[in-house]
Amino acid sequence: MNTFPLLSLTVFLPLLGAALLLLLRPRGRRAAFAIGIGTAALTLLAAGLVWARGVPGGFAQLEELPWIPAIGAAYRLGVDGVSLPLVLLTAVLFLATLIYSANTSEQPASFVALMLLLETACLGAFLALDLLLFYVFFEVTLVGMYFIIAGWGHDNPKQAALTFFIYTLVGSLFLLLAILALYLGAAPHTFDMRALLAHPPLGGTAALLTFGALALAFAIKTPLFPFHTWLPTAHTAAPAAGSAILAGVLLKLGGYGFIRFGLQMTPDAFRQLAPYVLGLAVFSAIYGAFAALGQTDIKRMVAYTSVNHMGYVVFGVAAAALRPAGGPFGLDGAVLQMVSHGIVTGGLFLLIGALQDRTHTRDMGQLGGLAPAYPVLSGLFILASFASLGLPALAHFPAEFQIFLGGYQVAPVATALLLVGLIITTALYLRAIQRVFLGEQPAVLSPLGDLGARELWAIGPLVALIVLIGLYPEFLLGLIHATQRLIMAGHE
Amino acid sequence: MSSGGMDMKRDLLLVLPQIVLLLTAVGALVAEMLRRRRLGLAWTLGGLGAAGAAALRQLGADTTAFSGTFRVDALSHWSVLILAPAAGLCCLLARQELRGTPREGTVYSLLCFGTLGAALLAGTGDLMFLVLGLLINSLSGFALAAYSKTKAGTEGALKYFIYGTVTTAILIFGLTYWVGITGDTLLTSLARPDLPPLALAFGFVALITGLGYAASIFPFHFWTPDTFEGAPVSVAAYLSVVPKIGVFFALAQVGRSLPANGPVAWPLVLAGLAVASMTFGNLLALLQQNVVRLLAYSTIAQAGYFLLGVVGLPAGAGARRALIVFAAAYAAMNLGAFAVVLSTGKTLADFRGLGTRRVFAGAALTVFLFSLVGIPPLAGFAGKLLLFEATMAAGYTWLAVAAVLNSVLSLAVYLRVVAAMYFGGTGETSDMGPVSWAGQAVVVTCFLVTVLLMFVF
Repeated sequence: MNTFPLLSLTVFLPLLGAALLLLLRPRGRRAAFAIGIGTAALTLLAAGLVWARGVPGGFAQLEELPWIPAIGAAYRLGVDGVSLPLVLLTAVLFLATLIYSANTSEQPASFVALMLLLETACLGAFLALDLLLFYVFFEVTLVGMYFIIAGWGHDNPKQAALTFFIYTLVGSLFLLLAILALYLGAAPHTFDMRALLAHPPLGGTAALLTFGALALAFAIKTPLFPFHTWLPTAHTAAPAAGSAILAGVLLKLGGYGFIRFGLQMTPDAFRQLAPYVLGLAVFSAIYGAFAALGQTDIKRMVAYTSVNHMGYVVFGVAAAALRPAGGPFGLDGAVLQMVSHGIVTGGLFLLIGALQDRTHTRDMGQLGGLAPAYPVLSGLFILASFASLGLPALAHFPAEFQIFLGGYQVAPVATALLLVGLIITTALYLRAIQRVFLGEQPAVLSPLGDLGARELWAIGPLVALIVLIGLYPEFLLGLIHATQRLIMAGHE
Repeated sequence: MSSGGMDMKRDLLLVLPQIVLLLTAVGALVAEMLRRRRLGLAWTLGGLGAAGAAALRQLGADTTAFSGTFRVDALSHWSVLILAPAAGLCCLLARQELRGTPREGTVYSLLCFGTLGAALLAGTGDLMFLVLGLLINSLSGFALAAYSKTKAGTEGALKYFIYGTVTTAILIFGLTYWVGITGDTLLTSLARPDLPPLALAFGFVALITGLGYAASIFPFHFWTPDTFEGAPVSVAAYLSVVPKIGVFFALAQVGRSLPANGPVAWPLVLAGLAVASMTFGNLLALLQQNVVRLLAYSTIAQAGYFLLGVVGLPAGAGARRALIVFAAAYAAMNLGAFAVVLSTGKTLADFRGLGTRRVFAGAALTVFLFSLVGIPPLAGFAGKLLLFEATMAAGYTWLAVAAVLNSVLSLAVYLRVVAAMYFGGTGETSDMGPVSWAGQAVVVTCFLVTVLLMFVF
């Protein structure tokens, strides 16, 4: 038994990097980003080592230290097939976004320190096996993102950051109440998530109310209609790196919460209310697609497709909750969809950032004919768009295919409705590609040429991953499937 | 039964922390009469430390002194352990703000007298101790609030004085009913089942009126913003922390004895007041342009959170722990916020660009304000977590929901200051001159407590 605390190392490496930045206070941009990128690379390495150590299905590589014994809270970490893919996603995306934003000239040290703090919070939330610890990490992500949007955003960022913070705080405080309800329901009172997963403590009305609070919290985070209104505002204002992290990682906390809390800690209540969640997810997916269709700002358009894609995630989870014996596909697909969406949308937001640097506008009405001028940028954007609309052999296809398969066995009509969303997404991406990259070339072009080395190093690996997941999803699905079987077995 | 002399010795030893507080206050007054300000400050800080040490030695004891009239329990111990350091920090703030003013030394003495009053309130087992503690606390508060002889200061102090005397008179009048129906002044007598409900209820309403004013609970809060604005910042800091903790611990002592499911549904009444206090305080704080007034309304809101702990009392010991942890957190974060205000200025405009001008002060104030919201892993979160738990354990889930919604509201309040510091442009550098070691020590101490409390308790 290897007892080296690799999980803690993974979680706190970024925080160490942030502390180093605060101590050294490097004046220059290069030094700050050297520390940031180095730390993020080491974190990715550590996450890779966690993977290499092996995750058999149930919680592995457990770490436990006493924290507040009087109330049954402890420092507990562990990893399984649901959390590991998200941890890897987090590590990859933070590295990519830090590389991408290495040209940030405004207070670079503070920016990198905040990003690293945010990375620790995200990794910690995915790896925590203690409700209180989870909540601490969950909330710190809000603080970090607030400062990144407000400090480095554009178009009235203060207002957007405030909306984001307040809106999502509503969600997390209801999560806190749900956590307390679970804690008080368990005998003896404990915040130990493994104990609560093994024996879901609540029944009857208490379970229904608790699931309601959980569903509200995670519906805001995911986000599902009608709780999504903070998302487009936040994305419009956030810097490209902030948007990539927000869509790529923070939204996943919502999906992760639906699985870890809703499905695993209040299973019966979830099953009872699953039809409603399912309906909301379907409506949300279709609404997101239609809203995206109506946008002229390309960034807002991609933001709304997140509402659509994350709707599929919740649909998959709800399908699994509705009929645990219905087959492995819903949950497998939901987890894979989260990873795919993180990579694809993270990449798209970075590409839009690169686009905006060159054209100084995101209005599709003013853009056009960019493909000849920026062939690499255009090519990567088109590839990522195709992935996002669900083209086979690219990242979203295996995930969405499984979600639809899982959904079809449980709710065929709802699944058929979801396909409408798919068609609209295809239409809107094709239209966007046509408007922005094809057609007549603009008279004046920015002196910036096609994608530079910094942008390629950031976006290239993401695009490679899009293809890899599309062609060989098994490298993640094997992992997810083993855990999924355990979760569903505990469910019957 | 042992002899009377032995009893007396035992009782005096049990209230040693309170005696030390009294001697500290008197000694500080003597030092002021000798015009030895530095000595007075040193004596005060030493005495407060000694009181804390005496309380620390008794930790774990659960008994009473003077025939049950004074309770020597977790609440009274922790009140000294929290209030003595808090008063010490207030003295340091006063040193920075009022150094060299004509009656500087009296401030140290009055701060100690006020702390003694709050400590007596926290251990009260008897109505006489309750009245005594409240009076000692209020009288020193009146004098402190009037320290700066400005128009605003006098007005604020006068409001505080009038509200204080009237509500205390109501309190004493109401408590005579309790004495009348129980036949004695002990709180434990209130647990008797055969008491006439109307008189019991009347006494309770009067009690809430008198204590509610001192703790700035809505609707007894009216004096708070004006008094805070007119008083020296260090005194406002003191008024926001010390009397409040004393009063809520006293309420908890009453709540321990008064049956929750008896004729007076006091937890329900306090729950209603909690919601009103939180909501009113936060809504009005949203409108303030003056940071001291903003913090004044914020203390009204935080008073509502304190009440959650009292409401949760009937469910078990968790509520008492919640009150103690929240009191410690509240003292640190609130004193810290006032300390930064003292070195920065009173209007929101003064805070523009503070985050880049004075990096540590900006970061510290951000931490204090986020802690007041209840963002983990800061001290305020530890307190609120336990308060919510106690409330839900007592079956008041709706109250926890109301408190949670208020936390969201409070975020909007405190973010106004944070946004001004970091994203409000540079503004004119109108800092109040160099920050003394005393003020800096307060900020650093409060910062450490606010950040570390959750990792050490």
